[in-house]
Amino acid sequence: MDTAQKNGASGEILLEVRGLKKHFPIQSGFLRRVTGYVKAVDGIDFYIKKGETLGLVGESGCGKSTTGRTILRLLDPTAGEIIFDDPNIGKVDLAKLNRAQLKRVRPNMQIIFQDPFSSLNPRLTVGQIVGEPLEIQKVASGQKLKDRVAELLQEVGIRPENMTRYPHAFSGGQRQRIGIARALALNPKLIVCDEPVSALDVSIQAQVLNLLEDLQEKYNLTYLFIAHDLSVVEHISDRVAVMYVGYIVEMARTEQLYYHPKHPYTEALLAAIPKPDPRKRTRPIKLPGDVPSPANPPSGCYFHPRCRYAEEICKVERPPLRDIGGEHWVACHFAEKLQLQGITPLNEIPLIELPRRQASVSATTTAATQIPHPQSLSSQV
Amino acid sequence: MANGAIGTATATTGARVVSEDDVIRVEDLKLSFYTTLGVVRALNGVSFNIPRGKVIGVVGESGCGKSQTGLAIMRLTPGRIEGGRILFREFNAGEEIDIVQLDKNGPEMRKIRGNHISMIFQEPMTSLNPCYTVGYQIEEAILLHQTQDKAEARRRAVDILRKVGMPNPERIADSYPHQLSGGMRQRAMIAMALSCTPTLLIADEPTTALDVTTEAQILDLMRELQHEIGTSIMFITHNMGVVAQMCDEVAVMYLGRIIERAAVDDIFYDPKHPYTISLLRSIPRLGVARGQKLESIKGTVPDPYSTVPGCPFHPRCPAAIPGLCDAVMPDEVFVAGSRTHTVRCHLYT
Repeated sequence: MDTAQKNGASGEILLEVRGLKKHFPIQSGFLRRVTGYVKAVDGIDFYIKKGETLGLVGESGCGKSTTGRTILRLLDPTAGEIIFDDPNIGKVDLAKLNRAQLKRVRPNMQIIFQDPFSSLNPRLTVGQIVGEPLEIQKVASGQKLKDRVAELLQEVGIRPENMTRYPHAFSGGQRQRIGIARALALNPKLIVCDEPVSALDVSIQAQVLNLLEDLQEKYNLTYLFIAHDLSVVEHISDRVAVMYVGYIVEMARTEQLYYHPKHPYTEALLAAIPKPDPRKRTRPIKLPGDVPSPANPPSGCYFHPRCRYAEEICKVERPPLRDIGGEHWVACHFAEKLQLQGITPLNEIPLIELPRRQASVSATTTAATQIPHPQSLSSQV
Repeated sequence: MANGAIGTATATTGARVVSEDDVIRVEDLKLSFYTTLGVVRALNGVSFNIPRGKVIGVVGESGCGKSQTGLAIMRLTPGRIEGGRILFREFNAGEEIDIVQLDKNGPEMRKIRGNHISMIFQEPMTSLNPCYTVGYQIEEAILLHQTQDKAEARRRAVDILRKVGMPNPERIADSYPHQLSGGMRQRAMIAMALSCTPTLLIADEPTTALDVTTEAQILDLMRELQHEIGTSIMFITHNMGVVAQMCDEVAVMYLGRIIERAAVDDIFYDPKHPYTISLLRSIPRLGVARGQKLESIKGTVPDPYSTVPGCPFHPRCPAAIPGLCDAVMPDEVFVAGSRTHTVRCHLYT
């Protein structure tokens, strides 16, 4: 159960984000005057330790993808610090770097995108796509480049012979593997995974999740794993941060957050997960209204109009994200007082021994010998 | 009760429980697409029934034909129905109608569509007409099928909007789809689909595009309305969690065939087909086996233009029997000791 030590998370901090803000201007009228801001990310603080996976969850529009992109400087932050521990340069504030300086740090931070159909250039071959980072950073060329690309493709489970084919020839899962190979090309330290499995079918989703875990173990990678599927995040993350309207409302170790949530929004999210167990039918916690617009958020705690525990103070004062002990950060005035409901573990899928049959002489004979075989689908007890 | 004896290789109809109280019986439905690249056999003999007042989940990965089955029942599929029957029995009328025999643009079909059978689509953004108010779009169905009185239609539209939990339904009826959020639009779609109290509601991934808290509210709403109205629901989804929460019975599809059919409890606690088992074991489960690898199904769904000899799952099946599974298509048979649980796998014949 315990995953804290699963890949030797050393406790050293790789990335620390302080007060990060990203506001998008709203322009209107003939003169395109700025009339307001969409506060997509509105002052968030978190850190990721080396070798760990931080899950970032929230509903659409909460700013989780903007956070991921701002960290990589694919978007320029409005305010805040992004301190990255680069293995060559040491600690740098990414928010302050210029283009040339960024180029030196970028090999150590990569991204995997959500949509495997739009994140690969259809006019480039797979070899060119995976090799592009190597060329840009002038790491390899010629035969050496080809060898490295072949090695990378092998690593993610694509046959190197496919190097000369174009993305359209591959299925969604295979394309996502190509995207992963591209992200790995420069031996990064940090990979931002922006919903890497949400566009995939369940059976393929498991393959890609396993691949990500294998690679993390092998190369001691650090992941910022952005997703909206809470079951997937629970499976892969060491720690989880929950975002609501541009703000982190809760951050804790995975077990802590799922079993003992301290923020009412986390409680509502957990209760809403459709549990794959017909014997555990749950009713969701009623959340009145809709998620507020980040252009026009409510006063005080952003969650108060929908919160069933809200009191006067919640309308006036926005609670800061504070540590209530044991690396559990919550932004709620009543974090200590509320008794909130976490998840209850689901039953394992019963282990079913598949009957084993040998092909009989006549295919239609039903009286074939049934040999119980230990190596059925289920491997563990 | 049951036709198709256990384990006989000659049974063509397969094993199924047939009951008088089915609102729809699909028998050996075959559907193909003729494209410039070749023929795609989307449905290769799908047979199932939906009992009155029940929620049937149809699950499978993309391309398995689950949406096409729903569209075929509505006669909205662009593919060619090449065989089989879709027998539909209305709430009150005793006669069974074969939907396949009807002209898909004819008056009979138009009378059924939206009135006796209605459908909710996946994308609430694209399935409402942006040029008309939500109220108008609901009234349209009511005026077409139920009443000629415009004031009455309006009253019913507001009523059904209130029923699906819209705050201030009069105002919502006068708003355009772009003024509503995703969850509200899906509620409006549900209101439209239920406005004529259909015998059968086909819900094609109604919550896939929604956020998890909105999804939970919509599922809760559908469950409530289903109890109240007694509509049978064919619930198409790929999410095993949603199936467990919503459905009474489940049909698992793979490459245009139903490979397992059982009560929801049996599917989750006593699955038989290797594909169902693998599917269940490949989803991350809350609180279970964290830090362990998920089991995954090797390989991918085969290319739709190709045909796989024998059982379509055998190239990916961990229990495939060489010489049998790759040569002979297994028949649908009852699982030993059950009259409701059927499976299409050589391991059980």
